[in-house]
Amino acid sequence: MSVIAPKFRLGYFLKGIFDNAFWILTIVTLAGIPAIQIVLFYLELPVIDGELLTAFLAFTWLFNPTMQVPLIKALIYSDLFRIAAFPGFGFAALIAAGTIFVERKMLAKLQLRVGPFYCGKIEGILQLAGDGLKLISKEIIIPAKADKPLFWAAPVLFVGTAAAFVALIPVAPGGWVVADLDVGLLAVFAVIGFFPIITILSAWSANSKFPFIGGIRALHQMVSFEIPLILSLLGVVILTGTLNLSEIVESQSSFPWIIFMPIGAIVFFTTMLAELERIPFDLPEAESEIVAGWLTEFSGMMYGLVQLGSYLKLYAFAALFVIIFLGGWTGPVFWPPLDTELITEGIPIPNYAGDPILTVAAPGLPLLDKDPNEWVMQEQGGLVYTSGQLLVSGVIWFVLKTVGVIFFILLPRGVFPRIRLDMLLHIGWYKLIGLSFVNIFIALGLVYAGVIGPGGIL
Amino acid sequence: MVGESVASYSSVLLMFGFACAVMAPALLVSRMISPENKKQPNPVKTLPMECGQVPSGAGRTHFMMQYYAYVLMFVIFDVMAIFLYAWGSSLLDLPRTATLPIIAFLGIMFAAMAFALYQSKRKDIW
Repeated sequence: MSVIAPKFRLGYFLKGIFDNAFWILTIVTLAGIPAIQIVLFYLELPVIDGELLTAFLAFTWLFNPTMQVPLIKALIYSDLFRIAAFPGFGFAALIAAGTIFVERKMLAKLQLRVGPFYCGKIEGILQLAGDGLKLISKEIIIPAKADKPLFWAAPVLFVGTAAAFVALIPVAPGGWVVADLDVGLLAVFAVIGFFPIITILSAWSANSKFPFIGGIRALHQMVSFEIPLILSLLGVVILTGTLNLSEIVESQSSFPWIIFMPIGAIVFFTTMLAELERIPFDLPEAESEIVAGWLTEFSGMMYGLVQLGSYLKLYAFAALFVIIFLGGWTGPVFWPPLDTELITEGIPIPNYAGDPILTVAAPGLPLLDKDPNEWVMQEQGGLVYTSGQLLVSGVIWFVLKTVGVIFFILLPRGVFPRIRLDMLLHIGWYKLIGLSFVNIFIALGLVYAGVIGPGGIL
Repeated sequence: MVGESVASYSSVLLMFGFACAVMAPALLVSRMISPENKKQPNPVKTLPMECGQVPSGAGRTHFMMQYYAYVLMFVIFDVMAIFLYAWGSSLLDLPRTATLPIIAFLGIMFAAMAFALYQSKRKDIW
């Protein structure tokens, strides 16, 4: 039993707070501010209204009501915001955290339990924060004779690779993607190919038998399901003629590809479950045979990082399914198009402040459009919307579809048993590859029968 | 030209670096605030996990590589799948006769795969 504060006295407590404040102030003054100056020298700073935005100008404008909107926009359209917050890491981590909580609650309901219940007032909603605190305050135990650099690096590399996968996912119309590549789909396959390597490295470096067996199993599984994964998406590439993920989404503005490619969608969903190591394909982490598979020796925050990485990967795979088969962000816009004058000129308020002559117009703020001062109007389906309207509507559709796919990924965990390794390989090599070739020939038939493609019916 | 197309890939690397840079401090913070008795390290605690038993033998043992033929076939078929992408992404621009060589290529690959699967099942080498 260890006691956190053996001799608690208010004096010691206050002294600790003052000491910490003193050292933080000293270090920030002597090292932090010079470091910011050095970093600012190398950053490409945005220009707003003809003025270069430095950090000091930003602080000034923060309290100037006329400059706040341009300032926020310059922030939103910077690379760092994309990587750290919206289509990148923050957004994906938020969905991943939600997935973990929903999975625990849903699995509990499927098994007639209540799940997390006491942490937080409503249905254990603070359970995740509690688990995070628990994991970060636990000791990290590294097994004897482990390859320490590799063992420390493996969880971080796993999260990093999952984040690189997330970077390729377009979320909303108008280029809301971290990396808009011409060969986005091939880049996705390249990133997926790194996961077995990290798994087998971490398994080997732990110098323990259960992780090693789990790592070998993960290698087999990921390797044998990579080919049906790659081939099942070829049908869509044949029909669209592009590898760019944003263009694949835009090609589905009338109908999603799942209508023509149901076989490809089923094959891709199955391989997705196998690549994510989820039941019924969770042999690498089979907890009833090999304690926790390749995660056995991870303790404390290392385990937390691997879990975060695997749920980021789950979000990225579900988003890829939505982008390729369910039409990504396409869908009816939620609100009717407004009059252009109403948006740009504003709503005239007659009889303002009791003055019968004075009329005030209150224009809206083009907060989500790229230009700080002008509205960007876009046409969709014969109607004209602002790009901010399309952005919000697209994100809502994308999140709705992704959450639906995530639900179907989570559902088998409460329904199916685990299958044997040879059955898994048999499914992968005999059935799924055959079905994905059937899918390719359906796509070829659609092109050559003149249904889709240049000069086709649709 | 080349630099521009390479630069668009840099944001993938930036995202990778960002995730590593944000998540590595979590390990450091955990190391700092977690209880650990450095003066009297417990050798039993750092033993590899073997369900409570004292581990026997080395951790990285020789391991029977089962299902070896699948791994061999993977090497061939992964390359083939990526070849098919080069053809599939430009199919709409190609003349229709260009499909025939690809069908022949697929036929050869399929025959080889069927032979491999048949032989491996007959000789029971999985």
